[in-house]
Amino acid sequence: MVLTIRGRNRHDGPAYDIKFYGHGEDTLLLSCGDDGRIRGWRWKEFTNSDVPIPLQGNQVKPVLDLANPQHKGPWGALSPIPENNSIDVNMKGGSIFSASGDSCAYCWDVETGKIKTVFKGHSDYLHCIVARNTANQVITGSEDGTARIWDCKSGKCIQVIDPAENTKLKGFFSCVSCIALDGSESWLACGRGRSLSIWNLPASECVSRISTRASVQDVLFEDNQILAVGAEPLLSRFAINGAVLSQIQCAPLSAFSVSIHPSGVTAVGGYGGLVDAISEFGSHLCTFRCKCV
Amino acid sequence: MEDGEIDEGAMVVDDEDAQSAVQLKIERSAHEMLQESKASVEDTVAKILSIKKEGQPKSLVRELVTQMFLHFITLRQANRSILLEEDRVKAETERAKAPVDFTTLQLHNLMYEKNHYVKAIKACKDFRSKYPDIELVSEEEFFRDAPEDIKGKTLSKDSRHDLMLKRLHFELFQRKELCKLHEKLELQKKKLLDAIANRKKFLSSLPSHLKSLKKASLPVQNQLGVLHTKKLKQHHLAELLPPPLYVIYSEFLAQKEAFCENMDLEIVGSLKDAQAFARQQANKDTGISTNVESSRLEDDAPDEEDDGQRRRKRPKRVPSKENLDQEGLYQVHPLKTILHIYDDEVSDLKSAKLITLKFEYLLKLNAVCVGIEGSHDGSENNILCNLFPDDAGIELPHQAAKLAVGDALTFDEKRTSRPYKWAQHLAGIDFLPEMSPLLTSHGAPSGETAKSDAVISGLSLYRQQNRIQTVVQRIRSRKKAQLALVAQLDLLMKLRWPAVTCESVPWALHNPVCNLHGWSTVGHQSIQALSLPVVETEQVRESIDADMNGRSGTSKEELESAREDGELPSLVPSASVTGDVKLNRLKGSNHEHSRQLTLISKSLVPPISKTKSQSFKKPDDDLDLMLDTDSDQDGPAYIELESENTATQYYEMGEKSWVNYGAKEFCLVLTRNMDTDQRIWKLEAKVNLHILKMLPVDQENYILSHQVCYLAMLFDYFVDESSPSSEKRRGISVVDVGLSKPVSGRLLARSFRGRDRRKMISWKDTECNSGYPY
Repeated sequence: MVLTIRGRNRHDGPAYDIKFYGHGEDTLLLSCGDDGRIRGWRWKEFTNSDVPIPLQGNQVKPVLDLANPQHKGPWGALSPIPENNSIDVNMKGGSIFSASGDSCAYCWDVETGKIKTVFKGHSDYLHCIVARNTANQVITGSEDGTARIWDCKSGKCIQVIDPAENTKLKGFFSCVSCIALDGSESWLACGRGRSLSIWNLPASECVSRISTRASVQDVLFEDNQILAVGAEPLLSRFAINGAVLSQIQCAPLSAFSVSIHPSGVTAVGGYGGLVDAISEFGSHLCTFRCKCV
Repeated sequence: MEDGEIDEGAMVVDDEDAQSAVQLKIERSAHEMLQESKASVEDTVAKILSIKKEGQPKSLVRELVTQMFLHFITLRQANRSILLEEDRVKAETERAKAPVDFTTLQLHNLMYEKNHYVKAIKACKDFRSKYPDIELVSEEEFFRDAPEDIKGKTLSKDSRHDLMLKRLHFELFQRKELCKLHEKLELQKKKLLDAIANRKKFLSSLPSHLKSLKKASLPVQNQLGVLHTKKLKQHHLAELLPPPLYVIYSEFLAQKEAFCENMDLEIVGSLKDAQAFARQQANKDTGISTNVESSRLEDDAPDEEDDGQRRRKRPKRVPSKENLDQEGLYQVHPLKTILHIYDDEVSDLKSAKLITLKFEYLLKLNAVCVGIEGSHDGSENNILCNLFPDDAGIELPHQAAKLAVGDALTFDEKRTSRPYKWAQHLAGIDFLPEMSPLLTSHGAPSGETAKSDAVISGLSLYRQQNRIQTVVQRIRSRKKAQLALVAQLDLLMKLRWPAVTCESVPWALHNPVCNLHGWSTVGHQSIQALSLPVVETEQVRESIDADMNGRSGTSKEELESAREDGELPSLVPSASVTGDVKLNRLKGSNHEHSRQLTLISKSLVPPISKTKSQSFKKPDDDLDLMLDTDSDQDGPAYIELESENTATQYYEMGEKSWVNYGAKEFCLVLTRNMDTDQRIWKLEAKVNLHILKMLPVDQENYILSHQVCYLAMLFDYFVDESSPSSEKRRGISVVDVGLSKPVSGRLLARSFRGRDRRKMISWKDTECNSGYPY
């Protein structure tokens, strides 16, 4: 899930996030991007298609197309369509959550394609969103430096998580660039600027705070460990208490995204379209470069 | 011939093994031989003797001797054979005796054995078995129940014996099983007995444990606010409450529990006094002084520890003394209900206590009085005054009470707690309004009469429902409003800009360039002007209508809302008061008030609707803003703002202008040092007309601040004619200054976009701005 996939030829501008929706035959690949649209594609059509991959984008039609609403200004002026920076899904509820540029998060109904809930409250645009499906909540991280927990049912903000409270961050912008939940959905990792904070959600308390050399750009839970990448060619592995377990050099100079396969293989994607696959033992399996279609 | 015989005899002797017949023959022959020889010897001898006697020759004797000799030999031979024969017979006898002896021995053995057996048999026969004593299971049962291994094996050849043995085995088996079972049950019994003993012990120790636990939990209960023990005491106390206070207590309690209202109830007062009072009451009722009962009542009193403490605290206090203080008429029941109302907005875990009300019951007047605990302010500052229209708490609510009081028409004003009408309603004391609604609306057109009927029915509905909720909500909002108002007034007194937190209105973001020059209380002469006599009402309205043609619609609305005033429980006599209300409203452009009333009327149509209480608004905050039209055209520009605060300062007896009750007026002077001449606009209408539309509901308490800020903004705009200086703001909401009307919608300006934080640039003409949409 590399962040800067250009494409599927259907998004104008960069695509920022992709997610799978559903299982088996009906799996949809959802993508969102700078054009403020969420599109769903039948994954089967990609895998079964005999058209060469570079051309697929033109062949396959999206089955789902959701466009962000524009804000109304005075005298009928319309704002530009806000971009979608991140999406997450709740399969059970048939919802897609999108973190949008107009500082709102939206909950879309997959069936009707309409907005079910608008989560309004952040003062600047959103970077990331994570659905906490067991509690029917979503967690968003914003440019304004806070993360918020929202109740999907009421659309109200339950808690504002301010990773920077009680600490002074010197200089540098500090937005919440990435958040991640662990498998039990009771631990939250929140990357803000050059720090990573781990929260226990049931206790709503910050259990540890990790300072990194470069700003954190993606974070991931693997069991009870945290994988984080940032604006440096390093893949770091932390324990929940904040101790550094390992740091592995990786190919991209600035890593935008990290993902892990159940087998333990980690993929780090980053600047220059580089993807680095690292085995569970820390050896580099392969490195490849994405090409513009 | 004798030789033959000897031969023959010798032959027989030699042959010892000859047959018995032969032997017999031999023996006979030997004996015969002996007989014959003896006879011969005797003959011979006789012959010899005869010879010798005769003296015959000797030769002849010779031959006889020889013959004699021969006879001797034969004799010897016979003797010998007889002896031999004897020996032989002896040996034979000896030989025959050995088997006889052996057989005899055998016989003896057998005899012995037999005796032994006979003895043993006898012993066996004499053996007494135990089994006859053993109660065996019956044979059928045995065959039915016995296991195969007992039934199957053969223990004896005798079938009966076998059966018996089997049965005995089975019996043994069964008994062993039963023994085992018995043992097991015994064990179990012992265990159970142990358990029972343990539990009994535990149970017997439990009460003391519970007691200590209860004791130990008291501080925790206090800490956590789970006042169980206290609650029990309270319930006990509640039983002694007079009926009206009991109604209040129970209803508030029910409200609290049903809707999780953020409030607390408490009953205070001396338990002893209450009991004494109850006794007294009972005695009065029955007419019999029952010492027994009184003692019983005393016994009934819970042995609470703090009772003693309470007595220690005020040992000298006697109910009679209290009565002396309060002079019969205002005699108060010893128990009082205290109601703490907390902030309903859950800002943090422990919401702030807003206000504490004390309900007490006047015995003689049969009225419930309410006061604010801990406040001794005069009625002007009492926020309970006019909680509902025309309810200052000065008058006694019941006609009966009025008659009882006699001369003193009004309630003692010095008392801080007063018999408000709503309190009576809460306490379940319903009473008739002084004048019938029909009578009071006689001056009104017929359509209005019909309306007032609807009003009454609506009122009755209102009375039944949501009373508590409404009152609590009103008190709460009023107290909040009061706090907010005081804070705002304080700020203004200090000539600082009041803070406006709501960001959805343009003036909140506007940084005023002008200064707050002055803020002073205007004397109450203006109030006199406001409360014009009823007669002038129509004219005034007309004239003002003519003046402000733009407002005619509004005044219509006001009219209606004024009419619907009557739906409030106090039942303002419509016609006369309506005039006043209208007057005030028109004169002072008391728009907010009208709006409030409109909202009341709206929400009363569905009386159960929950939104109702929200829209209730207290008259405290009614503000009138006025801009002096005739202010100086030259010099430093200033706008005079008159803010009339219908809060609580003055009460005018003669009039029913409860709306004006305790109104305050303020004068606000804004200045800005500018050299240029300024045009001063009359902004009054615009401010008042539109400000409420633009404010969200939760900002209602800060209307004064909003108005001041808005005025400052408008002032700034008019002072320097430049375009609004809102370019620096991030969110743009545009206000059409000319129409003084907010344009709906707002665009978010930002300079970054996307996760990669790309910079946006927009340009107008030649100038570049970061961010869009410009």
